[in-house]
Amino acid sequence: MSVDLTVHLGRLTLKNPIATASGTFGYGLEFAEFVDLSSLGAISVKGLSLRPCLGNPPPRICETDAGMLNAIGLQNVGIEEFLGEKLPRLHEARATVIANVWGDTEAEYRAVVERIGDDPRVAAVELNVSCPNVVKGGMVFGNDPAALGALVAAVRPATRLPLVVKLSPNVTDVVAAARAAVEGGADVLSLINTLVGLSIDIETREPKIGFTTGGLSGPAIRPVAVRMVWEVRRALPHVPIFGIGGIETAEHVVEFLIAGANAVQVGTASFRDPGISGRLVRDLARWCERHGVERVSDLTATLKTRPRPEKAYV
Amino acid sequence: MVVNEALRILRTVRYDAAHFSVFLQAGSIAAAAKPGQFVMIQAGDGLRPYLRRAFSVADVTTVAGVPGIELVVRAVGVGTEALGRFAEGTPIPVLGPLGVPFPIEDLKQSDRVALVAGGIGLAPLVLLARRLAERGIPADLFYGGRNESEVLKRPDFERFLGAHRCRYATDDGSLGKKGRVTDIFGAALDAGTSYRRVFACGPVPMFRALAAILEARGVEGSFALESEMACGFGVCLGCVLPGRDGRFHTICTEGPCLPPTAIDWSRV
Ligand SMILES: Cc1cc2nc3c(=O)[nH]c(=O)nc-3n(C[C@H](O)[C@H](O)[C@H](O)COP(=O)(O)O)c2cc1C
Repeated sequence: MSVDLTVHLGRLTLKNPIATASGTFGYGLEFAEFVDLSSLGAISVKGLSLRPCLGNPPPRICETDAGMLNAIGLQNVGIEEFLGEKLPRLHEARATVIANVWGDTEAEYRAVVERIGDDPRVAAVELNVSCPNVVKGGMVFGNDPAALGALVAAVRPATRLPLVVKLSPNVTDVVAAARAAVEGGADVLSLINTLVGLSIDIETREPKIGFTTGGLSGPAIRPVAVRMVWEVRRALPHVPIFGIGGIETAEHVVEFLIAGANAVQVGTASFRDPGISGRLVRDLARWCERHGVERVSDLTATLKTRPRPEKAYV
Repeated sequence: MVVNEALRILRTVRYDAAHFSVFLQAGSIAAAAKPGQFVMIQAGDGLRPYLRRAFSVADVTTVAGVPGIELVVRAVGVGTEALGRFAEGTPIPVLGPLGVPFPIEDLKQSDRVALVAGGIGLAPLVLLARRLAERGIPADLFYGGRNESEVLKRPDFERFLGAHRCRYATDDGSLGKKGRVTDIFGAALDAGTSYRRVFACGPVPMFRALAAILEARGVEGSFALESEMACGFGVCLGCVLPGRDGRFHTICTEGPCLPPTAIDWSRV
């Protein structure tokens, strides 16, 4: 049996649902000796800004149980070097590229997206409105549905490419943020970014991360991510979704698809094993074969929930 | 060529409660590994410890006729402890060799170099000593630690370099001279020895003191730097140290071997 791995996220068609998550896959090229870049559904590159960004002073990372905290501070080469040096090589490697972008202000977001414009070497633009590790930027928008809607609406005219909006899990109501992004003009939603956390060195009583708090990623966050994907899918049945958070195996991918994702992005797992994204494509096909699933897209939003009790049993 | 594969543990040799060597089946790493380079190793079940750990390739040897690489480890936390618990024969994920090695290609037999190590910082200097000895480049070792048990007095160092070229120092005087390793190194300079290049690995206070000595005397250095890493190949940007140029240096790909003048030691 041959499995159809193709997925459609609105206008964005991917050859399979395995993409890599921004900030965990560099500019893609660093992985060329471990993965055939053209075999992946898509590659979301490190968050790009209008000008190069140096990032936060160290220490920037620390390990946690089944995960890690990071406060890299969005260090990146800037949009010009990306377009001039990285994108041509990604294109040559036949990679499907998602340009992940961020800014400190609405004007900066818009300017960086304008610079990408309708570049045919880019498959989609992903707005990171959810980075917890910079003083301004990301989270200011991610935490406030009205500001988020306005930001997306302001950026929308700058490109005809599919617009992905990456949502923050550091909110009480992820559905409100999802709705605001879609009303502003988002074609696709991606969730989740990292969860704000704090680790303390109890000997020195100092935070283990220089920025004090950091973003938690890895298997530890997967149930939170799956829950949020499910909530957004329930509220917005027709909006395409990238599920992100702690994915390490084909079974994890299937879990996200059942919850409502159309595709996924693999993050921190690529640090532990740079070849994992390529392997997940093969493992997912095998899982589908074994389970008689002919089209991987048939898995999306197939969660069978049980009715919840209407009141507490007493 | 970077290898990403599972390699078997050939042997684990314990020195004391805290220190041990792990010999791994070398695969294609042994031939490629240069002194100062490192490997990323997954210890434990992949959930705890979650991330791989960076280890210097301490030496390239054979174990019962099988080509292997040696890692010298001090158990300081969940990752290093897990590595010591594996049974011989267990395959473990290894990525490497990675990073910029010590610069030695340009050295000549008429050059004299120094190796300065603190504690477990001796690890990358073993393979360096082996390669220098093979090429007949004279090298002096200065090796220190808090006490005798922190100094792994390996016989192979003395074999590679000559026993008279190995000098030791401990804070408590339990081995070698009482004092810091940077003190005995500074004393050698004071006595008139001059070095073409100084290779070093150790804790931050040692690096900081040594960087000051080398800069004051205008001696060239190469330090094998350490920093917590998630990936080891330049993508997480987690392992940076502040540079003098105001940038942050990515230790895994711009290093680990960098000239001490690249780093802003006042901000480390
Ligand atoms: C070191 C690191 C850097 C990251 N940088 C970015 C970034 O630049 N832009 C972004 O949108 N997300 C960034 N993320 C978030 C990831 O893309 C992803 O949403 C998150 O890590 C959860 O997925 P995971 O558990 O599979 O890692 C970063 C995550 C990590 C661990």
